[in-house]
Amino acid sequence: MMYWVDVLMLPLWETIYMVFVSVFFTVLFGLPLGIILVITDQEHICPKPVLNAVLSYIINITRSLPFIILMIFIFPFTRLIVGTTIGTTAAIVPLVVASTPFFARIVETSIREVDWGVVEASIAMGASPLQIILKVLIPEAMPSLVLGTTITIINVLGYSAMAGAIGAGGLGDLAVRYGYHRFQTDVMIATIIVLIIFVQVMQSVGNKVAQIINKK
Amino acid sequence: MIRISNLSKVYTKGRNKVVALQDINLHINKGDIYGIIGLSGAGKSSLIRCINRIEEPTSGDIWVNDINMIDLNPTQLRKARKKIGMIFQSFNLLYSKTVFENIAFPLRLDKTPEKIIKEKVNSLLELVELTDKIHAYPAQLSGGQKQRVGIARALANDPDVLLCDEATSALDPKTTQQILNLLKTINKNFGLTIVVITHEMEVIKEICNRVAILESGRIIEEGNTIDIFSQPGNDITKHFVEQSQELPEEFLKGNVLNLSFMHGTAHEPVISKVVKTFNVDVNILSGKIEFIQEKQIGKLTVEINVEPHKLLDIIKYLEENHVRVEVMKK
Ligand SMILES: Nc1ncnc2c1ncn2[C@@H]1O[C@H](COP(=O)(O)OP(=O)(O)O)[C@@H](O)[C@H]1O
Ligand SMILES: [Mg+2]
Repeated sequence: MMYWVDVLMLPLWETIYMVFVSVFFTVLFGLPLGIILVITDQEHICPKPVLNAVLSYIINITRSLPFIILMIFIFPFTRLIVGTTIGTTAAIVPLVVASTPFFARIVETSIREVDWGVVEASIAMGASPLQIILKVLIPEAMPSLVLGTTITIINVLGYSAMAGAIGAGGLGDLAVRYGYHRFQTDVMIATIIVLIIFVQVMQSVGNKVAQIINKK
Repeated sequence: MIRISNLSKVYTKGRNKVVALQDINLHINKGDIYGIIGLSGAGKSSLIRCINRIEEPTSGDIWVNDINMIDLNPTQLRKARKKIGMIFQSFNLLYSKTVFENIAFPLRLDKTPEKIIKEKVNSLLELVELTDKIHAYPAQLSGGQKQRVGIARALANDPDVLLCDEATSALDPKTTQQILNLLKTINKNFGLTIVVITHEMEVIKEICNRVAILESGRIIEEGNTIDIFSQPGNDITKHFVEQSQELPEEFLKGNVLNLSFMHGTAHEPVISKVVKTFNVDVNILSGKIEFIQEKQIGKLTVEINVEPHKLLDIIKYLEENHVRVEVMKK
């Protein structure tokens, strides 16, 4: 028992660190991006069809690359930002690059779900576009955004395992080293159990929070 | 108060063009409750939404309080909109916010001090009789309550005009009545000008002093509600005014007349005088007394079997007695 704890502790911590720091930046970049995708639409509060089309195109390109290829492809960019391409912190860069477009699309869907009548009512009350974003779109979409963030966390967890396999540490690295190279099935199973618990906890917390803030 | 001139609205979607409004001219006075009625698709929503420019007019001018809305830049437009309240068929409340926060919303847009917001919201809640729901969320309210929150929110900035787009169409008759009474009270107490869009004649009859009838994007009739009711000059208008007066063909054998009694004639025995004076039989086919803004109009459909020249005398006699006559069939 103690043995597993010792073996699992550091990789688990690395994974949690990778996932949450990545998700933090993903939300930081993806939320505005998703909102811009909605509001620059022809029929929305800030129509900019060209910008909309370009953004949408870039997002589609990024999303069509498998994570492992994207990660290797952007090595130079990663080195530019963190100084190295190896290690847990270095993995955060490709994780953010890969999950930001994913999250932006999720945000886009959530924001589009906000009743247009409510947006119109706020326009009629003299709200500015920025006020509509901050006081109407985001609060009204919040339950849906929370669920979208939960999905993103779980998604990034999956990516992080792949990153682990090529030197980022974490649970993915653990599974490769013990399960693949040394055929230690017990460590493999322990890793899987930890992952299942992690996903379950994230999903339940996400569902609960979304349920509490949903007043509809 | 509101002057609309040569307003047109064309929706363009790709190569498709829908002309929703054509050459609309309207004048709404301060303190009016002005009704705009029409069938579904007539362009009512387009018209009311052009007033605060949440729909961009294709051409024309719209003056609200002597300001031409068309000339305003985005910042000026936002400022002008704060003095034009609006309520909607689907209420359009913020579901993530309480009743209090919904009503405070327009005030918070201007960074009003919290103390003033509290006072204002509380007095509005009293007006719409929802003080006990202050911390409720919209999902916990009935349709009528939601609309009252909508009204309170629309009044938060002390507007000069209130625009109502089918505000009672999602409500049952009893709740409709309550909301109409509330609008009437607001109109009386604050002298607020109200523009009402509806497809229900009952709403117009109940609260509007003036009415315009919209058909296929054009105003086909306009005037005092009482006049339009007692003498609809147009087929579409008649459709609204006389919804319940359809008579089966077999009744219509002789000369059928539609009579409207008003200005006190509703309680005079004009018909029995006609019978005595002209020595004719008058067959009453249908009749009712309607109340339009507390004034009464008597509506009677009668059949009289006489020669044409005598009929003309009877019509003349009736008109002399302030009865409006319309010959349905000779
Ligand atoms: N956003 C829109 N795009 C295209 N056509 C529209 C739009 N809104 C309304 N219309 C059309 O304009 C006409 C008038 O619509 P509307 O003003 O909603 O009428 P009403 O409120 O009297 O039912 C209809 O033919 C409708 O289909
Ligand atoms: Mg409509």
